[in-house]
Amino acid sequence: MSGHAHAQGDGPEVYFQYEDIDQQQESYVVGMWAFLMTEVMFFGALFLIYTLYRWKFHDTFFLAHEQLNWKMGGLNTAVLLFSSVMVAFAVHFAQKGKKTAQLICLGMTLMCAFGFLVIKSFEYGAKGDHKLYPNYTFEYGAHDKDHKVESWWDDNLPAFMHIEKKEQHGDPKNAKLFYSIYFTMTGLHGLHVVIGIIAITSLMVLIIIKSPLITDYVPTELVGLYWHFVDLVWIFLYPLFYLIPR
Amino acid sequence: MAGHDHSELTKGGAHPHHVLPQGMIFLIAGGLFAGMAATIGAAFMIPEPLHSNTFFMQSLALAIAIFKACLVVYFYMGVKFGTRLVKIFAYGGFIWFFTLFIMMADYTSRPMEPVPGWETVPSSALPRNTVEDPE
Amino acid sequence: MSATLIDNATAEQPRNDRNYLNADHTLKSWLLTVDHKRIGILYLIAVTIFFFIGAVAAAMIRYELTSPHGILLSSEVYNKTFSAHGIYMVFQFLVVAIPAVLGNFLIPLMIGARDMAFPRLNLLSWYMFMTGGLLITLSFILGGVDAGWTFYVPLSTLSETQISLCLVGIFITGFSSIFTAVNFIATIHKMRAPGMTWYRLPLYIWSHYSTAIVILLGTPVVAITLFLVVVERGFGFGIFSPELGGDPVLFQHLFWFYSHPAVYIMILPAFGVISEIITCFSRRPIFGYRFIAYSSVAIAFLGFLVWGHHMFLSSQSVLQGLIFSIITWILAVPSAIKVFNWTTTMYKGSIHFSTPMLYALGFMGLFLIGGLTGLHLASIDTDVHLTGTYFIVAHFHYVMVGGTIMGYLGGIHFWFPKMFGRTYSEMWGRISAMIVFVGFNLTFFPQFIVGYLGMPRRYHYYYFAPEWQFYHILSTAGSTVLGIGFLLPGIYLTYAIFKGKKAGPNPWGAKGLEWEQAGSPPITENFEKPVLVLEDPYNYNPEEDSKMYEHEVESADMLGGRK
Ligand code: HEM
Ligand SMILES: [Cu+2]
Repeated sequence: MSGHAHAQGDGPEVYFQYEDIDQQQESYVVGMWAFLMTEVMFFGALFLIYTLYRWKFHDTFFLAHEQLNWKMGGLNTAVLLFSSVMVAFAVHFAQKGKKTAQLICLGMTLMCAFGFLVIKSFEYGAKGDHKLYPNYTFEYGAHDKDHKVESWWDDNLPAFMHIEKKEQHGDPKNAKLFYSIYFTMTGLHGLHVVIGIIAITSLMVLIIIKSPLITDYVPTELVGLYWHFVDLVWIFLYPLFYLIPR
Repeated sequence: MAGHDHSELTKGGAHPHHVLPQGMIFLIAGGLFAGMAATIGAAFMIPEPLHSNTFFMQSLALAIAIFKACLVVYFYMGVKFGTRLVKIFAYGGFIWFFTLFIMMADYTSRPMEPVPGWETVPSSALPRNTVEDPE
Repeated sequence: MSATLIDNATAEQPRNDRNYLNADHTLKSWLLTVDHKRIGILYLIAVTIFFFIGAVAAAMIRYELTSPHGILLSSEVYNKTFSAHGIYMVFQFLVVAIPAVLGNFLIPLMIGARDMAFPRLNLLSWYMFMTGGLLITLSFILGGVDAGWTFYVPLSTLSETQISLCLVGIFITGFSSIFTAVNFIATIHKMRAPGMTWYRLPLYIWSHYSTAIVILLGTPVVAITLFLVVVERGFGFGIFSPELGGDPVLFQHLFWFYSHPAVYIMILPAFGVISEIITCFSRRPIFGYRFIAYSSVAIAFLGFLVWGHHMFLSSQSVLQGLIFSIITWILAVPSAIKVFNWTTTMYKGSIHFSTPMLYALGFMGLFLIGGLTGLHLASIDTDVHLTGTYFIVAHFHYVMVGGTIMGYLGGIHFWFPKMFGRTYSEMWGRISAMIVFVGFNLTFFPQFIVGYLGMPRRYHYYYFAPEWQFYHILSTAGSTVLGIGFLLPGIYLTYAIFKGKKAGPNPWGAKGLEWEQAGSPPITENFEKPVLVLEDPYNYNPEEDSKMYEHEVESADMLGGRK
């Protein structure tokens, strides 16, 4: 990287391959969107698989999903939504050039991301206890009593709102399919959260050490785009896995 | 669009073309959390007989999710204020996603076949990795 | 008359000694370079190595098949051999070769930019490509993979070979091409020089743009599909496993959702190369610029809607098969448009049979045969007989070797002076182009016949029909010739890199920014002076070349090719 052809005073730096800052900033945003397009297709294939099997084995999927903890999932939704809001603020402050506020918002996002993972790990752990990992240990219906946890809701609402629990459990094989998809999709989503954490942390470090790599708001915006995408995926995952209608 | 991007005024400017105002961020946040509440609420509080109408319930949940997604994409991700190019890529990705669903045409038209298909699992498909058969 | 250009084109421009090759000589400066030209050269070295590995596997396959009983390999080893051949050739060579080598090198030069939009990302993709390649190689060292390049489940989930490792390698390579595509998209959209409007872009850029779109939309799907196989093998999940109620055919759907478009990832860049070569050596503006440009885009999108033609005999429903069959026939139209347009471009041009042109002409003939046999396969009723035979093997080699590799070699020969600033021996170039053409047909034409007679693919014996041996021996003999044809350029081009005659900036008298405004080899920033584009591309004039064709200029005008 020999020639940074034209740095303009104290404005952001223009890399040597670009003519001006507009071109540079737009290129980055377009590039990021092109990448997000592939991410859409990446998760898209999984959503297709989900749709197909859900359509095929709806009843079993419904029964299997009752073992998922919708409250935990809901909490995670809230956490992620909040983090998304924080990122939006971070971008806002970056654009306004308010560094401290931006760092605080990014920090909040980071905490939400960790919070998400912690909650997720509790959930995964519980699935292990219930022998619901879709591998050779899988034993569908092993811990039936535990899922009475849900009944708190039933006890506190008038009768017509009670959710009737069906007697049968569906086909354990298809239930394993459900958990395979569940773990793949949420696992990959979790992986994206981890990548997001790495990205946000690096961004914060670079901002704090005043690295020459960060001269304008664009890096924050790119990280923000990525993080919003992560949130976007969860927006669909939550109702599709945790709140399957009968 | 390209016209104003490269006008003398903005040339070399360090400043973004559009900053989402704070009020707006709060507003969208409100919309998102309301959407979340609506999703959960709908899943539990919709009375019978609608509650056991899978199609209705699923469409409702998806509609809310799509609404939330639109808020995020449109405002937080800035597509509304983006250049035409950004719009094309953003919408293009989401639209192309649906070509995958052509695959469903195969599965929905298999019952028309004169021979048994996926419905009957052939005996050659022996179980593996299952608890019944540890080998 | 035809060979003269290369000889007298030395002293056109005062030569500047500084260029991207001698900017720095250390190994580190190559391995940490962010210069798109150097990255192109890095890719060149890498894909050559992977091509060599794939070719060795091919030689083993051909040798094995000379006897009806098999000679050398056990069935298991044979399976691993053809898998290695397919995996290396498809994932590590064909998909990458033209975009990553020639595309990286030429896109900024052709659009008048100083570099790619994201140079560091570009370098990262090379490292990911190498990592993927190394993992794949490791998987073969550790025992090999026997599920073929298509990795159909449940074969690939039950197989006890190194499939997981290999799939991880392919996954990483896939993301490397995604990053390359992101780079291409941003570069082509945002980095064009002033005056370089969309319709002034060389068609090469249009085809690379379409390729990038296909990569962006297709590769993630195959990445996730292969990932699911890894998960199924590694953790015992079962998304495709029939005993859980899953559908193995779903894997084929998802796999071909990418892999049919992938054949266009392989061929579209070659189309671009051919458009450049044909115009240059016919000295004629391209005929029907917009048709060719939009046919690339049409192929990119329509290519996504035909994957089912690989699954006519799976349990896909007949209705769906029918629809896919029809769309496949429609898809042949844009490909045909291109061939017609190239032919018309040559019509009454002043044709020079230089090495790149020989490859381009070979490409047109071979791609024609490949494409037309594709239509046999696209009709359900004939496909029922032909699928799974050597007919298919011949079909896709006609398009992939006859198309992509001919295009690649043609491109390498065409831009070689630009890349290394030297010229190669034109005589050897022509000889080897001929050898490749002859050897290729000798190798693969007999496979059409033997496939039509019923020789199944992926078998390493045919004792039940020893009369086929004749065709197999022809084919093996042809592949030896073909091998020599590939080896020769390796030798004389390497020689030319170091000892070749110095080339001028524009040895072919070609049009285009990379020839007219950049040195050979170009400097690190590509252009000495700021670039401004005022001309349409392919502003050739057969008249300039030889006055005796004067009357044809009018017909060129009448055909609408000249602006
Ligand atoms: C112009 C039009 C083309 C048509 C109509 C066509 C049609 C087909 C059809 C129908 C098949 C499936 C045969 C079967 O499995 O029974 C097939 C296989 C194949 N085609 Fe083409 N094709 C065309 C061009 C190409 C191109 C340009 C390439 C590559 C550069 C290509 C590469 C392949 C490959 C690799 C396979 C075999 C895949 C496998 O089973 O391993 N085709 N083609
Ligand atoms: Cu195909």
